[in-house]
Amino acid sequence: MTDSILEVRNLSTHFFTDDGEVKAVRNVSFSVAPGETLGIVGESGCGKSVTAMSVLGLVGRPGKVVGGEIMFRGRDLLKLSKEELRRIRGRDIAMIFQDPLSSLNPVLRVGYQIDEAMNAHDKIPRDQVAQRGIDLLKQVRVSDAERRITQFPHQFSGGMRQRAMIAMGLSNSPDLLIADEPTTALDVTVQAQILELLRDLNEQTGAAIILITHNLGVVAGLCKRVVVMYAGEIVEEGTVEQIFEAPQHPYTWSLLRSVPRIDANRGHRLLSIEGLPPDLIDLPQGCKFNPRCPFRVERCFQESPPFEQVAPAQHAACWVTMARAYADMGAANIKDTSPGAASGIHPAGRKLPVAEVPAAVAEPVGD
Amino acid sequence: MATVIAPVIEEYAGGTIAREQVGLWRDGFRRLRRNRLALAALVYLVVLVLVAIVAIFWTPYNPATILPNTLTYLPPSAHHVLGTDELGRDLLSRMMQGAQISLIVGVGTSAIVLTVGVVVGLIAGYFRGWVDNVISVFINIFYGIPGILVAIVLYLVLGRGLGNIMIAISATAWMDMARLVRGQAFSIREREYIEAARASGAKSGKILFGHILPNALGPIIVQATFVIPIAILTEAFLSYLGLGIPSPLASWGSIASEGYQALPLEPYMMLWPAVALSVTLLAFNFLGDGLRDAFDPRQRR
Amino acid sequence: MLTRGTLIYIAQRLALIAFTLVAVSFLVFITVHSLPGDAFESDRVHGKALQLLLHEYGLDRPVLVQYWSFLTNAIHGNFGVSLQIRGLPITPLVTRELSVSAELGGTALLITIGLGTTFGVLAALRQNTWVDYTLTSIAVVGYSVPSFVLAGLGVLIFSYWLPTITNGVISYPAEWTGTYGTLVELSLPAIILGFYTSGQVTRITRAAMLEVLQQDYIRTARAKGLKSTVVTVRHALRNALIPVISILGPLVISIITGSVIIENIFGIPGLGKRFVESILSADYNITVAVFTVYALLIGVANLIVDLLYTVVDPRIRY
Repeated sequence: MTDSILEVRNLSTHFFTDDGEVKAVRNVSFSVAPGETLGIVGESGCGKSVTAMSVLGLVGRPGKVVGGEIMFRGRDLLKLSKEELRRIRGRDIAMIFQDPLSSLNPVLRVGYQIDEAMNAHDKIPRDQVAQRGIDLLKQVRVSDAERRITQFPHQFSGGMRQRAMIAMGLSNSPDLLIADEPTTALDVTVQAQILELLRDLNEQTGAAIILITHNLGVVAGLCKRVVVMYAGEIVEEGTVEQIFEAPQHPYTWSLLRSVPRIDANRGHRLLSIEGLPPDLIDLPQGCKFNPRCPFRVERCFQESPPFEQVAPAQHAACWVTMARAYADMGAANIKDTSPGAASGIHPAGRKLPVAEVPAAVAEPVGD
Repeated sequence: MATVIAPVIEEYAGGTIAREQVGLWRDGFRRLRRNRLALAALVYLVVLVLVAIVAIFWTPYNPATILPNTLTYLPPSAHHVLGTDELGRDLLSRMMQGAQISLIVGVGTSAIVLTVGVVVGLIAGYFRGWVDNVISVFINIFYGIPGILVAIVLYLVLGRGLGNIMIAISATAWMDMARLVRGQAFSIREREYIEAARASGAKSGKILFGHILPNALGPIIVQATFVIPIAILTEAFLSYLGLGIPSPLASWGSIASEGYQALPLEPYMMLWPAVALSVTLLAFNFLGDGLRDAFDPRQRR
Repeated sequence: MLTRGTLIYIAQRLALIAFTLVAVSFLVFITVHSLPGDAFESDRVHGKALQLLLHEYGLDRPVLVQYWSFLTNAIHGNFGVSLQIRGLPITPLVTRELSVSAELGGTALLITIGLGTTFGVLAALRQNTWVDYTLTSIAVVGYSVPSFVLAGLGVLIFSYWLPTITNGVISYPAEWTGTYGTLVELSLPAIILGFYTSGQVTRITRAAMLEVLQQDYIRTARAKGLKSTVVTVRHALRNALIPVISILGPLVISIITGSVIIENIFGIPGLGKRFVESILSADYNITVAVFTVYALLIGVANLIVDLLYTVVDPRIRY
């Protein structure tokens, strides 16, 4: 990959608990170009947050990074000393979190916490810190910034708190901002505002953004590239158009089909993915998605599929891939809503190697 | 949409509570078993109880028998395993009697506190309204009064005796319990299955004791366990001051008081009750800690 | 910070304290006056002489009338006179002994908080290491072992053994000589009392610190690149101290209770000793007075604690 500011190679993070070794993140690789917006998507527990925390070395006991490299500006973050890593945190790579109420210290003023981020590093001269704090609040569109900056977090609304966190994150003009579910705890309307803010800031400041979320709509609104994670692995990556219009991994495909779409036909069936993610302590052989995959074949049980290219700039880890599944089903692509295609069942009634077709697939939308 | 997960409360109150409760107990006991300190404490306490029971029927000597002068302040020996006190009474027998007294006072007080506190707390927390207001005001006023002072005064009014000392000590201790139970009743009351029970016409008493109480049992038991060492300590102190159990009954506190006088002469006398009290109190505290950790709902994974 | 709301709150609390004092003093008054025996028994006065004596002290009036005159006098600061030591005014007596108790209790409070918070923080930071186990054990010993046991042990160690070993260099007087500024001149009773109640503080501080360290804002602070000492002190500690303040009220009560015990063991001329003596000698005027003073102390202490909350936690406003 040419000229990426962050390159994660084969990152693995495990948690050593009383119940066993939880392999939360396994062999994850991706990269972020300068100024790029990357989305990391997946359900709860798929390892996306752990991946992000591993980048900044914030994974607490009993978790530990057990392998891989994280290259930032030519240096492997995993090999840095504590002090060197501390200097990068908040200065070159910043991270903001999900729930801004609990993520801000309730007994300290908001202005203090923003200034603190700057004072901890040497990028902004001391005498400019206070004024910059106010300017940052204005930049993140908090009205009445001069007064607000002296207030406490509980005096802010949810959306304002998240903006304050963004201000804090961007205070040292980092190269990369990692946002872990920044909109999940907010109302839908506020979500949209925050996303728009992040988009504008990305354009204005040139900071790259990694957006971590389980919400596909959020990703579509902000990101150029998307990485899809499942059970601790990356199963697909591509541009946002590719992921939404031609997903190749059945998991991605299922995720998209489980979201109601305004442009769908009336007969379009809404999919819910049956079953549960695998046990991360005792991982099954083969593809980790196979118990829930409507398109599994014999091979999926035995071997884990490699992560390979399925289209220009798109990679997926699947033996079948949607292209072939659609071909089998006689449909051209995902937008084909002819009855045969929409059912997800082979028109010839070809049986899948295990007991029955996932019941969810066969449920009709109420009429 | 046909693919929604089935609702959690299919059968109402009965089923859900049973499931929640059984899980809590089994979970809790499993965790308690892992806590070695609490287990050790439990073992010690069981032994203590056995000693006290034995003392009902037999002690090496009569704890009240006064022996001639030559046999006072004897150090431990084959005849008198723990030595004798200033009146020549056998210390081992007196200590065994003291064990009885401490346990009775401790558990008895806890029982009183439990009964009174739970009833008052449930009423206040469940019925609310003016009943709650009256009770709360009352508790808030007297909450801050040091229990020891009240115990001393009350004990003298009631006259000396085992039962009265239990009443005197519980006079302030029940308020803590009532507060706890009230808080529990408040929050449990809001849960859906209570509404379901009420909607199906269950009577208040049934709801209180059948539904709310079982779910609040965890913290209540923990609190009751912690009352015991407080009661034992208060009784010991009162006896130490000479305000407690009348002689010739032997309480660990009174033995300690006599022992303090004899400290330079005969350190043993104070040693026994000191160790006994310390270990017993420690045991109850560890047990209480263990119970609390075991039943802490936050720790359930 | 001294808003209108706060002032109203203070006024309400003071009213509550006043109400409590009346209620408590009334109850104690009635209770002690129903006790058998009276202060004059030891003087072996009988018959007419006894009646005269009773009348002189107003003890032959109905209880409620007696209480009323007590109350009206008390509001003016006059607690009446002692029955045992004829004619000795109670108020100056109580005031003097209050200062002794306050000195003892105050020193003990400082020791308790200082020792307790330090141990608690250290134990939390080094959770599950030997440091943690040692400090926690010390705390448990502190609040489990009865204070008179600790007293006996303390006297043995500090007044007999240590001076013997160090030839009098380290020696703590077993009698009360008052407590002064420096660490060395603290007397043994204060140390024992302080240590005894510090156990609770250690546990609470440790638990609070552990919980705070799990919080999201600590994660944010680390993500900002703050140094770890800064995170611990500026972010964690400030929040961990809030629950500690919440037990300050009960802590004062513990110290008061403890001081009653310690004063009686060491013969310190404070309120606690006076209280027990007054009960034993049926000098009930004093009993009521001491009880009321204690109630006042506790009420004021609780009020100060609640006000302290507003300083530490900006979310709390009255």
